[in-house]
Amino acid sequence: MTVETTRNLEALAAQAQTLMSVFTKAGYEAVAPSIIQPADVFLDVIGESLRARTYVFTDQDGAELCLRPDITVPTCRLHLERHADPATTARYCYNGPAFRFQPQGATASHPREFRQAGIERFGDKSREAAEAETVAVVVKAIEKVGLKDWTLKLGDLGLFSSVLDAADVSPNWKKRLDDAFLKPLSFRNALKDFASAARVASPGVPEELLSAVRRDEWEKSEAAVAVYLEENAIELLGTRSLADITEHLMVIAEDRQEKPLDASAIELIERYVGVTGPATTAGEKIAALLKGAKNGAGAALETYDRRLALLANAGIDLNRVTFSAEFGRTLAYYSGLVFEVNSASLEEKSPIANGGRYDGLMRAAGAQVEIPAVGAAIHSERLLAATVKGAQ
Amino acid sequence: MSKLTLAIPSKGRLMEQTTDMFARAGLVVRKVGHVRGYRGEIDGLPDIDVAYVSSGEIAAALKAGSVHLGITGEDLIRENISDAATRIRFLQALGFGFADVIVAVPACWVDVATVHDLEDIALPFRRLHGRWPRVATKYVNLTRRFFGSKGFGDYRIIESAGATEGAPAAGMAELIVDITTTGETLRANGLKILDDGIILKSQANLCASNAAAWTPEFEKICAELAAKLSASVPVKATSRV
Repeated sequence: MTVETTRNLEALAAQAQTLMSVFTKAGYEAVAPSIIQPADVFLDVIGESLRARTYVFTDQDGAELCLRPDITVPTCRLHLERHADPATTARYCYNGPAFRFQPQGATASHPREFRQAGIERFGDKSREAAEAETVAVVVKAIEKVGLKDWTLKLGDLGLFSSVLDAADVSPNWKKRLDDAFLKPLSFRNALKDFASAARVASPGVPEELLSAVRRDEWEKSEAAVAVYLEENAIELLGTRSLADITEHLMVIAEDRQEKPLDASAIELIERYVGVTGPATTAGEKIAALLKGAKNGAGAALETYDRRLALLANAGIDLNRVTFSAEFGRTLAYYSGLVFEVNSASLEEKSPIANGGRYDGLMRAAGAQVEIPAVGAAIHSERLLAATVKGAQ
Repeated sequence: MSKLTLAIPSKGRLMEQTTDMFARAGLVVRKVGHVRGYRGEIDGLPDIDVAYVSSGEIAAALKAGSVHLGITGEDLIRENISDAATRIRFLQALGFGFADVIVAVPACWVDVATVHDLEDIALPFRRLHGRWPRVATKYVNLTRRFFGSKGFGDYRIIESAGATEGAPAAGMAELIVDITTTGETLRANGLKILDDGIILKSQANLCASNAAAWTPEFEKICAELAAKLSASVPVKATSRV
């Protein structure tokens, strides 16, 4: 743990005040969501891996709660409580503690209790404009505090989808690769599986069923599964229905029929994943990659260019901006643009701020539909450390 | 602490098996003082203090170093001590208390045979039910580590204190991670083990705590005890380092 001195606290308080004044002047309403949150939303969105990093506990009534590991989800919940229509546009800013278990032990750059100052905006229809503004406000706030040596790293999880379109991947493979992209390990496996002819089913899945199910004969297929269960004296139990099981058998059977990914598509995907470098030239690299592709460049590159132009307009020096196709893959809930702000005074693994687009999160928090959402959070202790170091 | 402390299970089958095993090794474990007390000694090894501890708490005592030695299941050590490799030495597998920690799903899931298949159904399940599949278990850490090593994270743990095998049928969870010896209870509850779903093959072990205060004298007594037990392990179970 960092040793808390009064001086340290005062410096953090002064810094927070500066950050919040930039946010509120930019039109973000200051809010203070609860520190203790229901664990459900976090666990459902981020999955069990969250438990490894979050203080989850059970209260006297048996409710599963947690100390908030970030303030984004609590802000989503606050927005939903306030507005019957979650698509209502709103901008919020906050400053307060968040908590994370540090498996390697708590250190100054990875404390278990830290302060986050951040912004979230919901319901904006002009996507790239909202994204560029978010980045610009965060950079402005950081500069206002006195940090000069910042750099900005961008990623774009939406771009991958367009790369798959360009590679002319079948709808089935596309859906699977898209789903797997966020999980590097299964992604590599999926790519390997799809490359080497048709999918091989687990030997434990009965062959007689895989050859019996057919989508154009749905009822017959379901009946075949029912008969198999009965003949083998297996009781149907649990949440998944006969239809769920039949559907998945069908997917496996269809995967086996699917044509393997062709070598050029795999090469394109692999070369795209490897793209990294200055944001201005990365765009050209991707354009060059997609040029030879079957379906051409598509709208995603226009989005990429428009976003960069908007960033430049907002006063961001593009020479400080890099892009990495892989970046953001392991960050829980993002769905489009992702970014992080680093300082030369701190190591790469300790970004000063990060954020991005997370349209799916509001739905996980209880909304009926996806809501456009962009946000960012500043790690206060790191910002203070970088500013102090930079001034020396 | 002037004596070497050995924690053994305070009740149940594990205590009986431990006492039997010691008896076969020519070591008579006797309670000291009141028959309901929780201290004991071993005839012929006067420098060992025996503490009867509930089997669930032996791992915690070893972790803290409040006892030098303990007899408990490897499953409990691995579950309760995240860095077991540095904190604990497994001195001797004892050839009883066998239990496999396994992943089991409803037998009617004919479309799911491996963890990879589980991963395959997690997202469609979520789209349909609005949540990840739930795993009922008391082995929260073993579960997380095992699925983590396979790159699978799309599930939700429901902590279960007992009768875990009944959770899927009761609609409390979709699958379970639990211990089994013969698989009988699993079958009776309409469950099957995944083909790659064996997390740990566990048995009772004599374990040493690295956190306890050791003297050369204690090491000598400990080696003597381990040698005696080793000679009477029924099935020749290999010791682990």
